[in-house]
Amino acid sequence: MADIVHHDRKVLACVDKSRFAHFVADYASWAARGLNVPLEFLHILDRHPELSSGHDHSGSLGPEPQHALMEQLIAEDSVRSKIAREEGRLFLSTLRDRAMTQGISNPSMRQRYGELEDTLVEQQGSVELFVLGRRGESAQSTGRDLGRNLERMVRALQKPILAVTQEFVTPSRVMVAFDGGVVTRRGIEMIANSVLFRSLPCDIVLSGEISNSASEQLEKARIKLSDAGMQVEALTLPGDPEREIVRAIQERSIDMLVMGAYSHSVLRRIFRGSRTSDLLRAATVPTLLLR
Amino acid sequence: MYRVLQRVFGACVRVPIAFCMSLKTLRIEWLSNVRNDLLAGLVVALALIPEAIAFSLIAGVDPKVGLYASFAIAVVISFVGGRPGMISAATGAMALVMVTLVRDHGLEYLLAASVLTGVLQIIAGWLRLGSLMRFVSRSVITGFVNALAILIFMAQVPEIMLATPTGLGMIVGGLAIIYLFPYVTKAVPSPLVCIVALTALAIWLGLDVRTVGDMGALPDQLPIFAWPNVPLTLETLQIIFPVALTLTAVGLLESMMTATIVDDLTDTSSNKNVECQGQGIANIASGLVGGMAGCAMIGQSVINVKSGGRGRLSTFSAGVLLLSMILLLGDWVARIPMSALVAVMTMVSIGTFSWASIRGLRELPASSSIVMAATVAVVVGTHDLAKGVLVGVLLSGFFFANKVGKLLYVGTATTDNGRAREYNVVGQIFFASADRFIASFDYKEVIERVRIDVSSAHFWDITGVNALDRVVIKFRREGVDVEVIGLNRASATMVDRFALHDKSDGVELLGAH
Repeated sequence: MADIVHHDRKVLACVDKSRFAHFVADYASWAARGLNVPLEFLHILDRHPELSSGHDHSGSLGPEPQHALMEQLIAEDSVRSKIAREEGRLFLSTLRDRAMTQGISNPSMRQRYGELEDTLVEQQGSVELFVLGRRGESAQSTGRDLGRNLERMVRALQKPILAVTQEFVTPSRVMVAFDGGVVTRRGIEMIANSVLFRSLPCDIVLSGEISNSASEQLEKARIKLSDAGMQVEALTLPGDPEREIVRAIQERSIDMLVMGAYSHSVLRRIFRGSRTSDLLRAATVPTLLLR
Repeated sequence: MYRVLQRVFGACVRVPIAFCMSLKTLRIEWLSNVRNDLLAGLVVALALIPEAIAFSLIAGVDPKVGLYASFAIAVVISFVGGRPGMISAATGAMALVMVTLVRDHGLEYLLAASVLTGVLQIIAGWLRLGSLMRFVSRSVITGFVNALAILIFMAQVPEIMLATPTGLGMIVGGLAIIYLFPYVTKAVPSPLVCIVALTALAIWLGLDVRTVGDMGALPDQLPIFAWPNVPLTLETLQIIFPVALTLTAVGLLESMMTATIVDDLTDTSSNKNVECQGQGIANIASGLVGGMAGCAMIGQSVINVKSGGRGRLSTFSAGVLLLSMILLLGDWVARIPMSALVAVMTMVSIGTFSWASIRGLRELPASSSIVMAATVAVVVGTHDLAKGVLVGVLLSGFFFANKVGKLLYVGTATTDNGRAREYNVVGQIFFASADRFIASFDYKEVIERVRIDVSSAHFWDITGVNALDRVVIKFRREGVDVEVIGLNRASATMVDRFALHDKSDGVELLGAH
């Protein structure tokens, strides 16, 4: 066992108790295997201090009322915390078992209190890739709002994020939504260096208003990926990017989309809309968001 | 063209959406706990009525002044406060400060002082004076609440003295109901049961007892906006400014204290500077609708949290329900016997007093007990909580300086075959330890050279540096050559560049001793 490599970086699978948990677990296992890094499951325990369970309407103040109330609230909260903690632990262990059957040697698990976004920002130093569930068009019924929070979260993070929407399908064909910008160019670099996509055929798609420089960048990107030993095809699809890319995804049976995410400011997004959000809404395949 | 329209339409949709995302906090603070907030608001409103009346009587004004104030403050603070779930209204601490102003100049000056208090509190919020609370130690806070409890009880004493045997019986019976009824059911506020029972008893038996109605006017209409009827002159300002300044300090002190208590109880955080400004806005509003200045209430906030109130809705509903009940049931409220009010206020005073602090007198360090006792004594003597806190804070400062002044050690060793001596100074040198520092050297020793190593010491002020000068002079007068080493490092603390030591270096710096 001399070849054990100690990686600092890990794949962090962020799960909540929704039906996405299994998809997230599967995709995270796939990514951890491909990247050959450890896998960790993260479950955020919500606390709701804004809710109460008041049933004492006696309205009287005994001696040391503060102290008595404090003791009572601590007791109630600790019972609640213990239950949530144990439930979360059981939930995480089922996902852990699932990952182990898929060949991950020793996935770790972690529960944290707090807000998802804050927790992920805290953790991102030791993370190679985040895997999150995202509410797609087909999943309106789920109560969890990872989907709604996705943009806020993605903006706060500096690491790639794999946003999954559906049952795990081993990715067989990847598409890179290429805009010639810095983020996607860096993304191409990353894909070329990454073991995750090396064996997969890959399409690089340039859409929207096609400028000369973007076409040049597209060609450079193609060369870079094929130099890395990948089977690459470069496509230029003039027209509305959202519609064109979604059509290409269907026609070419793409099962993973890669794109730069939210490279523009919030202000610009408010007034002009965000291509990332539009695409995320339209494309139902798992999407790797690059920062 | 289509593109442009699409963009415009998109913006029209997205701007409100972005705005709504910032409304998420508002939704959580207002609407996440509706049922419990409303119920808690009702419990608090019922508890506020007797208190608002009692505090008006302490201040020497009609009950309606305190009731309008409680309504206005609770409603306004629910929107602009920094601590959701905290109850603010007319309070005893503030009422005590107003007594002289009301007696000498009348209600209108009180209303003007309330408005000015609000303005000063808003300024305090802008200046972030809330952070000054860190100088108010635990012992001072304990002294504050104990003094408050004692004064609230003392305000009831005249009523108890005046009471007939029947009245005394009613007070005792009322207290029994308040404390024992919760063992029967916690669904109904026991102070309410006490009030209803005693009122019914008095009416039924036709007892001739003093009632709330005898004490002054109750609200008979919704509050109306009115500018305080005072001349806008410098003289007016001279009358109201000192009172407003005290009210500002007392109001913010109790509000910050209460906010911390609610923070702890609910395990959440609050924005203290927003709360300062919110208190200011609420007091302005109160003064402009004929109410007295108020602040956060420890007891009521505890009752609110205990009853399940967590959000802003609890404070809001407490204010609205309070006034609605007064307007609907005003005639009945007027017939509440004073003995019922005394019973409720006795409960408030017992609940406010920190009984653990009496045990603490034996167990805690003497300095902390002295600070607490001094705070209580000054407040009870002057009826001014701000003065008590000031004395408490100053005393804590003295005790602290005294303790830190003891952290000084001077080691010595002879060198160069008895021709020279080296002094090694370790510790804190400032006004409280300067004399001890000077006395640590042996000036009578017959010697050629002295070396004073102060690199492990800290000079905190001019007094400390001056003490070193005096040591050097004393040695030189004996014809001794003096060499001081490490002074730069040692006096770095004095030049107030604390930022340098804020980091880990600072910890190391002090931890070295």
